[in-house]
Amino acid sequence: MTVGRKAASGAPAGAPERRLADIPAAAWLAVVLVAAALVMTIARGPVAVGQTTLNGLVAAGYFSLGAVGLTLVFGTLRIINFAHGDLLTLGAYLTFGISALGLPFWPAAALAIVLTALIAFALDRIIWEPMRRARTSTLQLFLVAIGLAMVIRYSIQFFAGSQVRAVGQDVLSSLSVGPFHLGTLQALVLVVGVAAVALVGVALAFTRFGKQIRALADNMALAEISGIDTLRAVRLIWLVAGGLAGLAGVLYAAAIGSVNPNFGFFILLSLFTAAVLGGIGNAYGALAGGLVIGLAQEWSTLFFNARWKPVVGFAILIVILLIMPRGIFGVGRARS
Amino acid sequence: MSIFNVDFWIGVGVVSGIYGIFTLGLQLNVGFTGLINLGQVGFMSVGAYAMGMLVVDAGWPLALAFPAAILISIATGVLVGLPTLRLRADYFGIVTIAFSEIVRYVFQNAAFAGGNQGILGYDADWRVFQAWASGRLAAIGLGEVAQLPLLVAVWASLLLCLAALMALQSSPWGRVLKAIREDEDAAAALGKNVFAFKLQSLGLAAALATVAGFFLAMNVTYLYPSEFDPSFTFFGYAVLILGGFASYGGVVVGAVLLCALTEGLRFLELPLSSGQSGSLRFIIVGLILIGLSMFRPQGLFGGKAEMQLRA
Amino acid sequence: MTTTREAGEAILAIEAVTKRFGGLRAVDDASFAVERGSITALIGPNGAGKTTLLDLISGYDRPDSGAVRFEGRRIDGLAVHRVARRGVVRTFQLTRVFAAMSVRDNMLLAAQRHPGEGLHRLAFGRGSARRAEEAARERAERLMRGFALESKADDYAGALSGGQRKLLEFARALMTGPRLVLLDEPMAGVNRALGAKLLDEVERLRREEGMTFLFIEHDIDVVMRRADRVVVMAEGAVVADGPPAIVRRDPRVIDAYLGRKGDAA
Repeated sequence: MTVGRKAASGAPAGAPERRLADIPAAAWLAVVLVAAALVMTIARGPVAVGQTTLNGLVAAGYFSLGAVGLTLVFGTLRIINFAHGDLLTLGAYLTFGISALGLPFWPAAALAIVLTALIAFALDRIIWEPMRRARTSTLQLFLVAIGLAMVIRYSIQFFAGSQVRAVGQDVLSSLSVGPFHLGTLQALVLVVGVAAVALVGVALAFTRFGKQIRALADNMALAEISGIDTLRAVRLIWLVAGGLAGLAGVLYAAAIGSVNPNFGFFILLSLFTAAVLGGIGNAYGALAGGLVIGLAQEWSTLFFNARWKPVVGFAILIVILLIMPRGIFGVGRARS
Repeated sequence: MSIFNVDFWIGVGVVSGIYGIFTLGLQLNVGFTGLINLGQVGFMSVGAYAMGMLVVDAGWPLALAFPAAILISIATGVLVGLPTLRLRADYFGIVTIAFSEIVRYVFQNAAFAGGNQGILGYDADWRVFQAWASGRLAAIGLGEVAQLPLLVAVWASLLLCLAALMALQSSPWGRVLKAIREDEDAAAALGKNVFAFKLQSLGLAAALATVAGFFLAMNVTYLYPSEFDPSFTFFGYAVLILGGFASYGGVVVGAVLLCALTEGLRFLELPLSSGQSGSLRFIIVGLILIGLSMFRPQGLFGGKAEMQLRA
Repeated sequence: MTTTREAGEAILAIEAVTKRFGGLRAVDDASFAVERGSITALIGPNGAGKTTLLDLISGYDRPDSGAVRFEGRRIDGLAVHRVARRGVVRTFQLTRVFAAMSVRDNMLLAAQRHPGEGLHRLAFGRGSARRAEEAARERAERLMRGFALESKADDYAGALSGGQRKLLEFARALMTGPRLVLLDEPMAGVNRALGAKLLDEVERLRREEGMTFLFIEHDIDVVMRRADRVVVMAEGAVVADGPPAIVRRDPRVIDAYLGRKGDAA
């Protein structure tokens, strides 16, 4: 059925149009969030809402960074990369490993992030690229991703043990601004997270590479027709996605204060939710989705016991897939 | 422990039988219907817990609780499938994982399921049966082999399920399923209600998971939530791919091979802690998944043609 | 709009159907009726919306506005399998036989209301399932013989030649016992002799069983000789509708075809 499809123009067809179409949806999202905050303030008071919002912003940092990587590699694989969550775990554990060799925490983290990016790049070259070229089926890609996730996760567990491990940084000191407090480490995570998200957003919007990867994540075939060197762009995407995942993992570890080798896998479902919320393949959407998930999980503690937080993420996932599988910004393809 | 320890290998036999039944359900979904069901362990969990709670909390006899649990898990399968089967394949996979994680989370945190303590004491009836069976086996000199009745029961059930599934596959119902897997739009154009068939496939897989769950529960004698985590499902997928897609017989062979391989590792006397051996087992499973998917996706017994699943 | 011969009952009615993809109208306010027992050809340049219309009739897509009526009842918006069960069957431009299944299985799949396909039949009612299967086998055998496929019955459908696959898809469609058959370019990729055979069968079925046919075709020769009625579409709209001899001289039709020659389709 070829009638009616718009011809591909010279520029990456989707990118500038996507930005314009996003604005009303973004405005609508902002309105909903503010309205929700107001309603909760009436129910639970401004201090509680403000505090949980702060906590939510801390979480939003690592959710957004993890989700944007997931959505970008989705564009190259056309499936959800099951092993993405374990890249977060890798980033966190590499940090511990390197700092055990003597480096202070944050330089170790920086090095770990670079390493994670390189590992992701290598995995794409060794595993994903040949499979893309051979045009393998969805099922095969999926099984490879699952196998890869297991190999990464259990290799980490092999070397680092399966027990919960404390981050070892100063988790006790905290900052207070008026009635709100945040652990010093968490405040740091908040600052770094916000800065990183802002940087990613700016890079996506204004750099040539940013535009290319946005177009590719949205529609690889179209991007190719538009003259983008997809091979190079794909490789760069994996490098960036790996680095962002590593950073997200470090931020998570710092914010929560402790990790175990499974945390990346569990967080994958929340990352997927965030990515789908924003419309799969839409990089900005993933950033926004991370914000929503972070806020939703923390706000839920105003009404439910904190141990049900993960279930909130799952519930949102199921609801989104049922009523809005294209996400808030997406023109996605959720139905078979 | 000597490599010739009979009890050990009987234990391996039991576990491989359990995985066999579990993975037969996966094969029905993946190999014969084209559904990437990643939440199979969730159905097993629901079934096992339902059975345990019916016996321990409601005082039901095991012989009634077991079929009731199967019905409950079929209903769960249908409930999960109704909103999710129309999603694309990888979304469906992730949602089914979310389902199994929700189940695990709920059982871990809710008082009615015993929380992290789990449930025990449901196997009284089973032990009566086992004692009786051992008594009969003593007549042929095998009364001392502790787990033999369980092994026989598991494998009898496995072979029964195998026969049933193969009969189902060569029936007109199975024919429709095959068509759906190959080209569901063309099947619909011939008047087949694709959605209904997929639901039935999922429900049946849930039932099989519960049968596996029953034997698992009898094997470990107490239910706790963390044994029902996604790695059980992933191990099942490794069995699936080893044996080959669209081959029920291959599932049985794959289960025996993989369990023997991973359990047999402990005889290699590697200088590893038990935790590390456990991790190594999963690393190997993961590598098998990757290797086979990349280089021999049809597994040992599957046909190349069977790998043509619609993306 | 030229009308046709004596008023036959309209088995299919397309009423002001419109379908948009993005900004383009693939089908634009199309209206026409197909008489019971007629052979109607749907022609038009590439991109005219013919296959889209077939999709809308058979349930693969829903119209944005308008209605599709089969035997008086609306079928637009019904699921594909429900439309098929009402008696409307279609074939595809690129044949969609089940390549990994045998020719016979392809045929047997088309049996309608087969009790063996119900899961509960395994427990109760095995007898009726078995009887239905036997009846289906006999019918499939007859149909396969009619198209000279019976010797290939146990071969994989994927091993058939392109022409044989077309015949199989047609035979399979007939197996469903339809009242309206939608054929999407039945002659494409088929040699003249085979194509003629297929159309002879179409005419026989129409004559002996009162089956109705609507087919998309590019070969004007075929259309002129075999169709009772021709509907011409261009750019989504119905441009002409009537007996072949009259339609071919309609200036709007000539315009639609000639006018396209210069465009990129």
